Amino acid sequence: MSPRPSAVGRAIVRSPAFAVAALAVLWLVAPPFLHIGPRYLPPLPTVVRDGVSVWPDLLASLWRTLIETVIGFVAGAAFGVAVGVCFAYQRIVERAFFPIFVALQTVPVIAFGAIVVIWFGNTITAKVVIAFYLTFFPVAVNTLHGLHAADPRRIELLKSFGASNWQIFWKFSLPSALPTIMTGFKVGISLSLAGAIVGEWFGDTVGLGVMLLQGLYFEQVPRIWMLIVVCGALGAALYGVLVAIERRFVWWRPD
Amino acid sequence: MSSIRSGLPVVLALVALLAAWQLGGALFGLPVYVLPLPVEIIAQGVTDWSSLGAAAATTFIETIAGFLIGSAIGALVAVVLVLAPPLEVSLLPLLIAVNSVPAVAFVPLALIWFGLGMASKVAMAALAVSFPVLLNMLAGLKRPSPEAVNLLRSFGSSWLGVLWRLRIPTATPSLVIGLRVGIGRAAIAVIVAEMLGAYNGIGQTIYQATAQVDYLTVWAAVLVASAGSLLLYGALVAVDRKLVWWR
Repeated sequence: MSPRPSAVGRAIVRSPAFAVAALAVLWLVAPPFLHIGPRYLPPLPTVVRDGVSVWPDLLASLWRTLIETVIGFVAGAAFGVAVGVCFAYQRIVERAFFPIFVALQTVPVIAFGAIVVIWFGNTITAKVVIAFYLTFFPVAVNTLHGLHAADPRRIELLKSFGASNWQIFWKFSLPSALPTIMTGFKVGISLSLAGAIVGEWFGDTVGLGVMLLQGLYFEQVPRIWMLIVVCGALGAALYGVLVAIERRFVWWRPD
Repeated sequence: MSSIRSGLPVVLALVALLAAWQLGGALFGLPVYVLPLPVEIIAQGVTDWSSLGAAAATTFIETIAGFLIGSAIGALVAVVLVLAPPLEVSLLPLLIAVNSVPAVAFVPLALIWFGLGMASKVAMAALAVSFPVLLNMLAGLKRPSPEAVNLLRSFGSSWLGVLWRLRIPTATPSLVIGLRVGIGRAAIAVIVAEMLGAYNGIGQTIYQATAQVDYLTVWAAVLVASAGSLLLYGALVAVDRKLVWWR
């Protein structure tokens, strides 16, 4: 039986491609009709032409920011999972340090960006460290929550069947925590991108953040809009990769 | 009593961390640009208190103003979307697409449009808050089962009645989560915007001190910013306890 037409229509309307197409159409149609000046929203063709005119720079910057984001994210995610697991199995460490962690999460971490740039200079390392730091917290906190949420009765059951602690962790606790950990990854990847962009503001020559800063100095509104679109596409692509990984490998839901 | 017992390990850990930092720094004779000692940072904060305090006050006002405006917009849009399902189906994907742009990318636009004064920071904070509040509020408003909605409807309740008696109370815990995420993001958005251009504020203090290689002031400003965010977060948790007493 084929799905009802209205359901198909709804699925099309909900698809990301449709959203992008609709935004593009809105962008083409709205400025002339609503008399929005180019200072606020330049016409879409102008923005696209601007992107084409700086194509090699844009590509180099995109690549640089992508590298910073991904390295920082992978390192931060790995370290975050490790710390989360430590917390989950060492109650005293958790009770002493976890509240500090929660508190540090509310701290405007970007403010530490200045210090990181002081430490590492205007290198790629500085941005990676900022991205790492921003990813680390949500991943560690979500790992801990996920492991705590594992049903203790099932752990008792597995124990009574003679499973070792290692087996219980590997075969039960970690898999049941994975959906929550994935949520932490998704928060982490967008923070990681924001951290890399802001890290570039403290002084660098290549990167999407650098181009944004130059656009601000020369008040090039089309350039800034072009970069906003590119940053959004990069953010959506990174998020999409995580969602694809989740669908493929972590298809089960938490209890 | 239980709060004292659960607080004790935290205080001990904090003291241990600070002591290790102070002792380690003094022992290895780390230069100020690598890691100043906690005592030095606090001393700097006390000396600079008048300028740091003024900067913190500016940042605080901008954050609160943006937070209030942004959460009001987010919550209102969520209510409108729930009352008009066709609007939700067509608008929500667009909002999610816009949301995939890191908020910091909008900072240059905010500065060009609204100038270097407070308006641009308030706008950035409002933007950063509105999305988490909107998405959480929407999820909360849609939580009541269709049966519960139908029951109220069959007793003659209007859509507004359903909204007021059922949907909004059910959405409150979820809304509070959005607000908590939002307050952190608002503070970060304001500080980041101040770094790029402002007359005053903690972000501007950090940016200038970094440029002038005045590392102690950078650390002191980070300390003030952290303490301020903690206070805001604590206040929000207290409001949450009062507001969502039934959990």
